[in-house]
Amino acid sequence: MMVKKVLHSLTLNGEEVQVATAAGATLLQTLREDLRILSSKRGCNQGVCGACTVLVDGTPVRACLTLTARCEGHAVQTMEGMDGDRVMATLQRHMVQSGGVQCGFCTGGVLISARDLLEADPTPSREAVKTALSGNICRCTGYRTIVDAVCGAAEELSQ
Amino acid sequence: MTEVLSPLTVDDAIALLVEHDEAMPLAGGATLIAMRNASLVEPSHLVSLDRIAELRGIDRTADGTIRIGAMTRHCDTAACAELTGSLHVLRRAAGMIANRVVRNMGTMGGAVANADPAADYLPALACCDATLEIAGPEGRRSLSIHDYVDDWYETALGEGEIITAIMLPAPVEAPSAYRKIARVSGDYATASCAMALDPDGQGLRVAIGACGPGPLRDRAGEDALRGKLHDPAALAEFAGRLVALADPVDDVRGSAEYRLRLIPRLVASVLSELAPQKETA
Amino acid sequence: MSLDQPEPIFVGGTVGQSVAKTDSLEKVQGRAEYIADLYRPGMLHGAILASPHAHARIRGYDLSEAMQAPGVVAIITGDDVGEGRMGAFIKDEHAIAKGKVLYVGEPVAAVAARTEEEARHACRLIKVDYEELPAVLSPEEGLARDAPILHEHLAEYIKVFDAGSDGNLCSRTELSEGDVDAAWADCDVIVEGEYTTQPQAHVSMEPCGALAEVDAAGRVTLWSANQSVFRVQANVCESLGLPMSRLRSLTPRVGAGFGNKMEPHIQPITVALAMKAMRPVKLILSREEDFEMVRARHPYRVRMKTGAKSDGTLVARECEVLVECGAFADDSPGVMGYSLLMCGGPYRIPHMKASGKLVYTNKLRFGAFRGFGNPQVLFAGEQQIDQIGEKLGLDPFTIRRRNLLRRGDQWFVGPRIGSNGLGRCLDAVEQAAKGARADGSPRNFGLAVTAHISGLLGTGAIVRMLEDGTISLNTGATDIGQGSDTVLAQICAEELKLPFDQVAVASPDTDGSPYNWGTTASRVTYTTGRAVKAAAKKVVDQAMDHAAEILDCDVADLELREGGRIGRHGSNTDVTFAQISGRAHWAAGGPLVGSETLVFDEPTHDPKRAIALGLPFPRIGVFSFAALGVDVDVDDTSGQVSVHEAWSAADVGRAINPRLVEVQLHGGFVQGLGYSLYEEMVWDGARLANPSLMDYKVPTARDVPDAIHTFIIEDPDPTGPFGAKGAGEIGLNAAPGAIANAVARATGARHAHLPLTGERVLAGMLDPGALQD
Repeated sequence: MMVKKVLHSLTLNGEEVQVATAAGATLLQTLREDLRILSSKRGCNQGVCGACTVLVDGTPVRACLTLTARCEGHAVQTMEGMDGDRVMATLQRHMVQSGGVQCGFCTGGVLISARDLLEADPTPSREAVKTALSGNICRCTGYRTIVDAVCGAAEELSQ
Repeated sequence: MTEVLSPLTVDDAIALLVEHDEAMPLAGGATLIAMRNASLVEPSHLVSLDRIAELRGIDRTADGTIRIGAMTRHCDTAACAELTGSLHVLRRAAGMIANRVVRNMGTMGGAVANADPAADYLPALACCDATLEIAGPEGRRSLSIHDYVDDWYETALGEGEIITAIMLPAPVEAPSAYRKIARVSGDYATASCAMALDPDGQGLRVAIGACGPGPLRDRAGEDALRGKLHDPAALAEFAGRLVALADPVDDVRGSAEYRLRLIPRLVASVLSELAPQKETA
Repeated sequence: MSLDQPEPIFVGGTVGQSVAKTDSLEKVQGRAEYIADLYRPGMLHGAILASPHAHARIRGYDLSEAMQAPGVVAIITGDDVGEGRMGAFIKDEHAIAKGKVLYVGEPVAAVAARTEEEARHACRLIKVDYEELPAVLSPEEGLARDAPILHEHLAEYIKVFDAGSDGNLCSRTELSEGDVDAAWADCDVIVEGEYTTQPQAHVSMEPCGALAEVDAAGRVTLWSANQSVFRVQANVCESLGLPMSRLRSLTPRVGAGFGNKMEPHIQPITVALAMKAMRPVKLILSREEDFEMVRARHPYRVRMKTGAKSDGTLVARECEVLVECGAFADDSPGVMGYSLLMCGGPYRIPHMKASGKLVYTNKLRFGAFRGFGNPQVLFAGEQQIDQIGEKLGLDPFTIRRRNLLRRGDQWFVGPRIGSNGLGRCLDAVEQAAKGARADGSPRNFGLAVTAHISGLLGTGAIVRMLEDGTISLNTGATDIGQGSDTVLAQICAEELKLPFDQVAVASPDTDGSPYNWGTTASRVTYTTGRAVKAAAKKVVDQAMDHAAEILDCDVADLELREGGRIGRHGSNTDVTFAQISGRAHWAAGGPLVGSETLVFDEPTHDPKRAIALGLPFPRIGVFSFAALGVDVDVDDTSGQVSVHEAWSAADVGRAINPRLVEVQLHGGFVQGLGYSLYEEMVWDGARLANPSLMDYKVPTARDVPDAIHTFIIEDPDPTGPFGAKGAGEIGLNAAPGAIANAVARATGARHAHLPLTGERVLAGMLDPGALQD
């Protein structure tokens, strides 16, 4: 099994990058092993846990289920590229304050999903928040403080 | 290691699938890449269908028929305003698949091709009397959803064939719904039920998921039930016929016995949602 | 970074304040580094070949093809590790399978290669010659007369307690006080039943992993996902025959533990690979491997009988458990012994008898999991309390209140209860849950109560005053995300009357940290907190001596003031910690360092009171208490249970950080909810059938009630730091009992088997009499 590397061009957190990655690599592999973008986590590699969630062209997807080849010419955004994003900054602050961060392994994916929800629905009900986050497994918090954080951020942002 | 090929036309995709023995077509990837990551499949080539314009979009044709391109994502189906009345069941099913992020990835064509008996589309499509548009080395063909599943994870799709679109009859004004019993939110079904009432409210169409290799549908039984939806004996007989058709397995989501027990209960539950029995004086 | 300043987070911050965790910011920014995020120059990636057999002798290996595979640098098998064996209670486990394999999924060989893909590919080229042996797949099979024996040399293994091992019997424990056999005659009502509980997977979101590196002198540095750098060090060194001084164990951030990262996972294999490759090696398990190779909560068979007088006074309880151990003892003898110690619940029951057998089977090791045997026996015991109440017409609160243990009472076998706020926990739940739902519909209410210890074994703290008067705290306790770094810093800051943000917490390091047994047994706040408080006090005392010299007065005339100042009573003049520490560093006395070590040393067993055979914890800890109420819905169609609302009240002595206690209660409850309703590891023969998150389901945000009400009850423990006791496990224990009681209320059916799946509950609804009375 010789590893064949393929060159791909994509936009990563606003910058054009060229990356040589194993043929057939997932975006998660390329981000972590070739680009050292480490905020996207391998929790299950089956798209269930949500810890690898990133944005492709602004839409949240599972990095572990996305082929890097499919990202050719597309824009990938990870937590490393969220600087200056007002919604994300507000969510982050509320997560810190509410106790929604425990072990932290799921946190990045939770925040990316939550940000996507608030972009689509700036004033979600608690039920809507729970539904939107149902693809991000957290084993520590029991979700209560995460939902508090997202609702708190939504309230602040909509003022 | 897998090579990724990105053809621009259906014909090119089929040619690549024929050319490479161990090639597989790649739709949204939500299931196939998960399986490859777990080494359950090891394709030499993945023929990515994402750049083929023909496979995209939901269109209403002149006769009202709705064509859903095979690469239509679950999130788009779940939000599609064309899917009203008798086709609403498909929206409901799409909206219950996995979770919001996975629905941004998975496609109807990919899900149908995978033919997981516990997945949500097949019963909904069976309830809608959908037709599959298929392209392959021998050309194009149409296939009724009722003739699609041959056995557990075996379908009528031949070597080198892909689904290009799912065709739905024009929606009529009649309520339809989908309910699934699953261990947790977003899980595959332990059992599911897709149901649409006839426009006159006198009859129904029902498909049961996860209780056999393919969706269970008993059209003769549906005919017999017409006009007797609220007759408990007739309904019990109809549900009994569905149970008799079922061939469920024991798995981590539930036992075969539980699934058989759920079939009549699901039928009753969805029917009561669609056609609540009027209070009698 | 888009958050301009971190300042709003660290305001205030002493005991009793809900300061944000110190690691929160880096975690929300995606910058926290877990084991998989670490890279070293020249680092290789490891992968493991797992056994396809449940029980087989290894005749030999053929590594030739694998060694030729691209990128491969080193391969290890059982031939590369010595005869060393590790284990917390019974040393029965090699670093990697040697001579025999004992379960499907057991590591048999490991490869270090340039990439993870190459390592995994090479693993598949390794050929192992197996001689298959008949397998033991249940404890009943294991105890059968002609059962195949897993550990032929069990008698020779080192054991740290009187295990009574024999054949496949890993250990047995027997505890009794009073005279149970005679007491049944005094009972007006008796309930009994046999209950089974299922294996549960921890599913820490971070799979286990390790990174090992060997320096030029042959000394190993090991980073790993862990709950104790010291247990990692001990296990690796025992299994590989290394002197402990040759291995330094460190920790990055840990993506939760719940018990599965306390004892070893693949650290010994990673070290062996790095020593053979002479290059750094990182090995990260896949989720499937994490399910198949690490450990899980024990399945139990519990036979329980409880008797009471007609006024509801409990008289006697007998409990017999049969516990599946898996292939290695790991923490299992402790779990079983602890569950027997706890099986009476927090009640005065004069006549008690508890016994258990722990049996080796050809499955992955079962081990520590939040609750540590308590949820299993409580599922039986708390249902029986309700059943007695039902027979006597006593509601769930009344029957429990009538029998509660009180402060000063002795727990079963002997430990003295120092503080007990359980009565107030019951009051809080009853008050909050009374009446109907908001929409007027009646509740399907279920109640259970529990106690849990915090304590156990050695711990330490070193508090150093830096030159500018700020503080470095070093305890060796791994923060697995629950916030112990924050809580310990709060204790330290409180004792020194410093702002919280002036205490930095060092990352655990076996080279530099004082010993800490581990982040387990709900113990860090209680035991490590005690050490921190005492060590900080020593620094205060030293600072006082300096201040007395600087101010030319008696220490008795001095007072410690907020903000790191010491002054004379009645005078405004004072000296700062910075002045004191500067003087100590450069002029007089030497730098200020306070250190304290301690071990919980109260005996568990009171021989005047009870008989105890095979007790694995001769010294155990202090008791926390909790009451849990739930209101459930049962779906008519499917029988599926959902929790509509929950009330969790816990006596944690003193909440050092109330928010973090609440999150422990939320998280523990939800993990217990998954355990109660659907989580179950299922074996298809010898093979785990659902080792993935696709097939093994844990609760999502939609599966939990939004209304989980928490009530922190504070009955300060006389020995706890500022009165604090543990809070880590108490929120989970009562979930299965409370939910089962609520389901009984809703459906009329009692359930003896966990989990309470829709399937089981529907069967109960359709035929309530067919299940257990």
